[in-house]
Amino acid sequence: MKTVRIIALKKDRKRLLEHIQDSSIIHVRNTDEKQSGFERTDTSAQLQQFERNAFLTRQALKILDRTEPEKKGILASFRGRREIEPEEIGKLAGESVKIIGICNRITDLDKQTADLAAERVRIKTAIAQLEPWKNLDIPMNTSDTASSAVFIGSFPKGYDNVTLSEKLAQETPELIFDFEIIFSSSNLTCAVIFTPKSQKELADNTLRTLGFSRPLNPTSKTPSVKAERLKDKLDGLQTKIDSAKEQLRSYLKYRPVIRDMEDYFVLRSEKYKVISQLDQTKHIFILNGYIPEQDQIKLEQLCQRVAPDCIVEFGDAGDDAPVKLKNNTFSEPAESIVTMYSPPSHNDIDPTPVMAFFFYFFFGMMFSDAGYGLLMIIATTIALKVFKPDRKMKNNLRLFRNCGFATVVWGLVFGSIFGDAPAVIYKLFTGNEITMRQLLPWPILDTQKDALTIMVISIGLGLLHILIGMGCKFYVCIKEKDYAAAFFDTGLWMTMLVGFAVLAAGAAASQTVFYVGVGIAIASAVGLVLTQGRGKKNIFAKLMGGIASLYDITSYISDLLSYSRLLALGLTTGVMAQVFNMLSTIMGPSVVGIIFMIVMFLIGHAITIGLNALGSYVHTMRLQYVEMFSKFYEGGGKPFEPFSLNSRNFKIKNSNDD
Amino acid sequence: MNGMIFAILAASLATVLAGIGSAKGVGAAAQTAMGVLSEDSSMFGKMLVLTLLPGTQGLYGFIVGFLIMNGTGILNGSMDLGMAQGLSYLAASLAIGFGGMISGFAQGKAAVAGISMCAKDEKNFSKAMVSITLVEIYALLAFIVSLLMVISIK
Repeated sequence: MKTVRIIALKKDRKRLLEHIQDSSIIHVRNTDEKQSGFERTDTSAQLQQFERNAFLTRQALKILDRTEPEKKGILASFRGRREIEPEEIGKLAGESVKIIGICNRITDLDKQTADLAAERVRIKTAIAQLEPWKNLDIPMNTSDTASSAVFIGSFPKGYDNVTLSEKLAQETPELIFDFEIIFSSSNLTCAVIFTPKSQKELADNTLRTLGFSRPLNPTSKTPSVKAERLKDKLDGLQTKIDSAKEQLRSYLKYRPVIRDMEDYFVLRSEKYKVISQLDQTKHIFILNGYIPEQDQIKLEQLCQRVAPDCIVEFGDAGDDAPVKLKNNTFSEPAESIVTMYSPPSHNDIDPTPVMAFFFYFFFGMMFSDAGYGLLMIIATTIALKVFKPDRKMKNNLRLFRNCGFATVVWGLVFGSIFGDAPAVIYKLFTGNEITMRQLLPWPILDTQKDALTIMVISIGLGLLHILIGMGCKFYVCIKEKDYAAAFFDTGLWMTMLVGFAVLAAGAAASQTVFYVGVGIAIASAVGLVLTQGRGKKNIFAKLMGGIASLYDITSYISDLLSYSRLLALGLTTGVMAQVFNMLSTIMGPSVVGIIFMIVMFLIGHAITIGLNALGSYVHTMRLQYVEMFSKFYEGGGKPFEPFSLNSRNFKIKNSNDD
Repeated sequence: MNGMIFAILAASLATVLAGIGSAKGVGAAAQTAMGVLSEDSSMFGKMLVLTLLPGTQGLYGFIVGFLIMNGTGILNGSMDLGMAQGLSYLAASLAIGFGGMISGFAQGKAAVAGISMCAKDEKNFSKAMVSITLVEIYALLAFIVSLLMVISIK
């Protein structure tokens, strides 16, 4: 990584920035303080405008998707961004006002529909409330006549003519009344009650004690007429809603343009963010940033072509420079695994090359089925060919393709091809028992019968993995000239582990080798006791520190045992596949049986693949992160995020940003 | 004496105890994950991974159960097994049974916490994932002990 400073004339600013954005090779340095004598342009107003517009387009798209969901295949997420010609950007700029107008119209229409729908609910409630009153033939707000008081309302209880008059008489014996029940159900009685005007107050009190209440919005029309009118209004609303929806649908054809427009505004706002970071005078501007070493010449050529008067200076990047990982095609796909943990800091080495191989290898050992591996290879290869995905997706697909190759290899070693499918099918049609070991022409390791052997292999591979991790630490320490840390803290533990390995091999093979192993281990332990307390002051503290450090052996042992998951998950895949194979042949070799077998086979293996691919992925990752990275990797670096087209839907043809 | 009944009991215990652990763990994790998904459905993939992590115990238990069935020959219709073998199977199944159950509970709790952490910031995903798998080692050790015993019983 290098720092770069570009000094150029202000008249070239637009062109130069656009080309740099296209090439996406510069990570612009964000600083708040400007250099003395320079000005900064405040672009926050434009920036806000662009971001608002981008938001508006996003909203409009959401509304259109709700109006009519777009038909896209399940695999569409693999597809790369559409390529467009550089000139199309200019066209988009020209259309932006029109499209923003359309987006505004779309959001307005959406709001209208929502308001209308709310109104519709209100009217429906009103109609429902009028329902019990539909037999009332006078207006709901009928007031008193010359001589009598009229009460229209409801009781929260079911009454008929007899019970209501009994109740009223019982409550206030002196009250004179007449009434008509309009509607009655078990918990509601709607009624009109007449009393002499002189007894109005008395009647009012009586009715209140019975829980009588008047309707909330009495109208001057009879309830049936009112309900009729409301129904008409409802129909009118429905037509309005339909027409608004129809209009929305007519905007569906703009969906692709709106989508491009969203990208256009994102693009513009990115550019204005950079402009606000430029130090400017009346005639020139300065851009500060970082650039990967290999892109230096490219930038110089670009500047020569676009703005011949500009000056490009490179310098050495400091510790806080962003990190861009660079690897060969074999290990590049695993970069995403490293960055998911954390990009390397300036004193880390890039762990991708060492971990990539083990990632594929361990994944293969856990997933371990030649059939599944082949499916992975075929599926990822097709996806890569057909969809032409973007860089990130491409790398993910390549990651799984590489894992697929390892899976095939381990599947063949473990003699597993869709579990024991070949043997099961052989048995189904010939009736003879056969094992995969007899069927396959090469010697295999059976995950069930040779479990102990595979466990030893797993832990052996784990030892290798951990030793390589420690080797990286050793290398880093040497590079930083911290020889004590390299030889004492890392080197002695490495020899200790090697000693234990030799010892274990010797225990199985020969006495001499065993003693050699014991010797190495004891020598390393003595070395550790003598050196690990070197930070302490007095001799006893030194010795105690050294002895205490031996306790770390437990963490190494638990790390090593952790690799037994290689066996466990490998076995899990094999046994699950075997179970489904057994289930699928349960109906025998008849026609129905074979149809059943095919269906069961497909479902069963789909489940096995889903569960075990996930398990293998997660546990491989864990082995890298916990067991290996903990030995040497710090992380915490800043990722290289170039000033580029951060678009979702299109990319510009011939740009560097793949 | 026929020890088959104990072998069947062993297969059942291994499957069901470990299954209880996973069911409880995945259940708790799924509840939390659904809460997160109701806010932001784009996290489905990540949530699925974290939710499934406590699910392996049940699988281990099932595999030990299957290997016991396979080893005793019950799948081929045999009902003959010595008492000593039957009881040995029973003893061997206890490791993954209890190891799987308790670690399933614990991993479920870790998964719930991991999902909450991931919901706050998606970048925490890998850290959450690794922390949750730390619990798994104990289920794995139990599984391997059960497994080695089951396949060695003659």
